[in-house]
Amino acid sequence: MTEATDLAERAGDRDPRVGLRAVAALRRLLEQLEAVQVRSARNQGWSWQEIAAELGVSRQAVHKKYGRH
Amino acid sequence: MFERFTKDAREVVQGAVEQAERARSSSVDAEHVLLALLDREGSRASFALASLGLSGERKQSVRDAVAAARRRAGLSQAETDALAGLGIDVSEIVARVEEVHGIGAMSGDRKDKGWWSGRRTFSRDAKGILERSLRTAVARGDRHIGDEHLLLALTAGPGVPAETLAAHGVTHESLLRVLYGGGEAKAG
Repeated sequence: MTEATDLAERAGDRDPRVGLRAVAALRRLLEQLEAVQVRSARNQGWSWQEIAAELGVSRQAVHKKYGRH
Repeated sequence: MFERFTKDAREVVQGAVEQAERARSSSVDAEHVLLALLDREGSRASFALASLGLSGERKQSVRDAVAAARRRAGLSQAETDALAGLGIDVSEIVARVEEVHGIGAMSGDRKDKGWWSGRRTFSRDAKGILERSLRTAVARGDRHIGDEHLLLALTAGPGVPAETLAAHGVTHESLLRVLYGGGEAKAG
């Protein structure tokens, strides 16, 4: 119950800092998750094209970000 | 900018690159600058840290806390709390990813050898530390950028290094006090 109350309080927090910080943190988390999944797919022999299609981005974008060169 | 760095400060920057290499991190991050600073001896920064009680086991405690933060995607406690406010349990995510991809999967470090032979770039955070150290030195009227300015820069912003140091009693204010005295002019 305390957890639920706590969450309700936070959700009602109008301090933009809290919300912005959460967005920035989420972005960092997303970046690491993406890196883990892309690496895993490459290790399993996926092509950049296949990875890009799943991520919904261009092949060039994903290769530029994660390719060695 | 680097020509104004003292020998100690240059060695910290070099040490940060080595820390990143050892961890097989793709970039040199602010955390690596902190780890390099902890390794220094006989420098202004190491004296400042020691006078705030950070030596020996306490230093190891900082290293462990930094490693723990890296393991959870490099998120600080403040960021982890902010995500909890959205109902996102970072430790749960890390645990599930590690279950499939191994311990430290979310750290941004690689265990496989030789994957990165190229030159490591400094992350935006790490570049920010270098720039801020310059600004700190200039603001204080110091001609050179020493490792104490790097340490001051690390404690000035948000993020894992500042948060971890603060949890160990090293804040921007306490550093200014031991480095320059209680709000007096620069120590020389």
